[in-house]
Amino acid sequence: MAHLVHYSEAHPLVFRITHWVNLISMFILILSGIEIHYPVVPGLMGVARGAHIFFGIVLVINCIFRIVAAGFVKSSPYYGSRKQKLDMYTFLPQKDNRHQLIPWIKYYLFIKKEHPLGGKYGVPQKLSYLLIGVAILFMGYTGFCLWAPTMNIPFFAGFTAAVGGLMKVRVIHYFMMYFFICFTLIHVYLANIEGTDPSKVMLFGKKSHGGLTYDPETMSISGYDNMKDEEPKAEEAEESEAAATA
Amino acid sequence: MQDSFIESLESRGLTRRAFLGFCGTIAAAIGIEGVTAVDVAEAIEKNSLIGVNGGMGKGGLAPVIWLELGSCTGCTESFAQTDDPDPATLLLEYLALNYSETLSASAGYSLEESREQTIEAAKGKYVVVIEGAVMTRYNGEILRIAGEATCAPGDSPLIRTCKDAAVVIAAGSCAVDGGFCAADPNPGGAEGIQKYLKDNGVTTPVVNLPSCPCNASTLVAVVVQYLLLGAKSVVDGLNEFGMPTAYYGETIHDNCERRGHFENGEFVYEFGSVEEAKGYCLYAVGCKGPQTKANCGTIRWNRRVSWCVESGAPCIGCCSADPNTTVRNWVDVSSPFLGRLKTLKLGSIKFQPTPVALGITGILTAALVIHGVGMKATGRTTGGAPFEKAREYDIKHGNVKPSNEAPATEQVVETVEEGE
Repeated sequence: MAHLVHYSEAHPLVFRITHWVNLISMFILILSGIEIHYPVVPGLMGVARGAHIFFGIVLVINCIFRIVAAGFVKSSPYYGSRKQKLDMYTFLPQKDNRHQLIPWIKYYLFIKKEHPLGGKYGVPQKLSYLLIGVAILFMGYTGFCLWAPTMNIPFFAGFTAAVGGLMKVRVIHYFMMYFFICFTLIHVYLANIEGTDPSKVMLFGKKSHGGLTYDPETMSISGYDNMKDEEPKAEEAEESEAAATA
Repeated sequence: MQDSFIESLESRGLTRRAFLGFCGTIAAAIGIEGVTAVDVAEAIEKNSLIGVNGGMGKGGLAPVIWLELGSCTGCTESFAQTDDPDPATLLLEYLALNYSETLSASAGYSLEESREQTIEAAKGKYVVVIEGAVMTRYNGEILRIAGEATCAPGDSPLIRTCKDAAVVIAAGSCAVDGGFCAADPNPGGAEGIQKYLKDNGVTTPVVNLPSCPCNASTLVAVVVQYLLLGAKSVVDGLNEFGMPTAYYGETIHDNCERRGHFENGEFVYEFGSVEEAKGYCLYAVGCKGPQTKANCGTIRWNRRVSWCVESGAPCIGCCSADPNTTVRNWVDVSSPFLGRLKTLKLGSIKFQPTPVALGITGILTAALVIHGVGMKATGRTTGGAPFEKAREYDIKHGNVKPSNEAPATEQVVETVEEGE
């Protein structure tokens, strides 16, 4: 099967770091959140609360930083191309996203046999990543509504009043945790089901060994790059040679 | 202080020393904003309704009308437990409780007449205390007092009484938003006095004092604050729910005497256990302290003898209230009392958040596993399916150039991957 070559230009270091911060924060937030919801391990309540508040603030700041940085840092909005644009174009709808939502859904439902063309992110992917940014900020907002030092600030107290008290905010905050769990399940599944190359680039900045290239102008597959023009590290070179002889 | 003000106090048998002691108590009760006894004394001298500048005249008493609607009379019982000032002092020296179904000596026609006379004589100066929920079902006919539908829409004894009051105090959760009277399915159409007055165009300010029953100390503090500092001072201190921020600004949890056990992770998981005997935190058995804003832990109950958590019961959130939304009464919001989160309602279906959320997550996981089997079966797990030659839309609309066909390089890619 063919796949697009994954250049590390798709995920510059700064966004690999924000992704790691998201991953670690959400993992700790979910575990500590379950502990706060019901003291499963009683002795950890104090630690869980401290960690929950700390990583909650970290996650919100990280999310805001990520959004702002998207307007300054360049990344490649396509797999299969080294061409970089401002990172915001990765998330905003582009020319090659038009008319592609239905083909993507058909592809996921096995109705369509061929892989839809498109940039780094498919249409459903873009929509869900835009949504998760909003969800993180909203989650943080409800968190501040529940946190004693901030709950009486009118900006937060107004929401508490509108939904009908702290119990409702807690229920919303609790359901939102499952939203993040469900998102993560789908996210991890789709990122790795067709091969782990996307994860290697996202987490470690590791390039794949070769693949198809993509031309965003013509919106089509433009050729093949087996990365021979790169200066591969020693072990990578060995691997490629081993692969070639195999 | 002006002599005449001291005289006015002395006419009530209050010495200067006792007065300053009282100011200190008030300052301590307000506490949060760094108010001193001297500030209180000054404010009282300037604004007091019972002082020389006040509307009651020298030695006059502030008239109070206490209306009892759909209730269990528990708030009256609670009010009768006040001790600083005690009920006798309060009633004989500060207030003229001109109308109260439970406490008034007279009854029937003469009592109704007393209410009407009070409204007439003290327009804009008297206080109305509402105990119990406004029962709106059957045009208010569900609650008749003195031969009249008390809670009828448009015109009712309730509206006539509240219209000319200086301030209406909703004492207890039922008066705030219907309380337990409004609990699902709310057969009597119970609602709070604030909503009822608003719906009927009455603009008298309402002070909401939720809890079940109303805490006597809080009620007396608000009445005394009104008498001493005027209605504006009371209304200015209200939050978005019309409750005094000073009393309903912090959660039970934040001032709880068992908070240390919470932080240490010492919890009661079962009633009758060793942990319960040790007085550990009641969070795991459904304490609603973290989501209930009230001062129970600091002001305490029954002449400061004890309060719910000290006596070993988890907080059941009886101070949760939303004056404008009856279905947010504390019973519906806090039940099950021994569960962490409330039971949710979708139409007539009731469910707990956890099983539903876990169920959705489980179904999603199963769907992903099935999808993964499908991906494996269609050979997509090694790099996905081959790319389409051109986008479906472009093919359909004839936008494809012949040169855009993908090169035949798939064989090489496969070799590389197998080598990994």
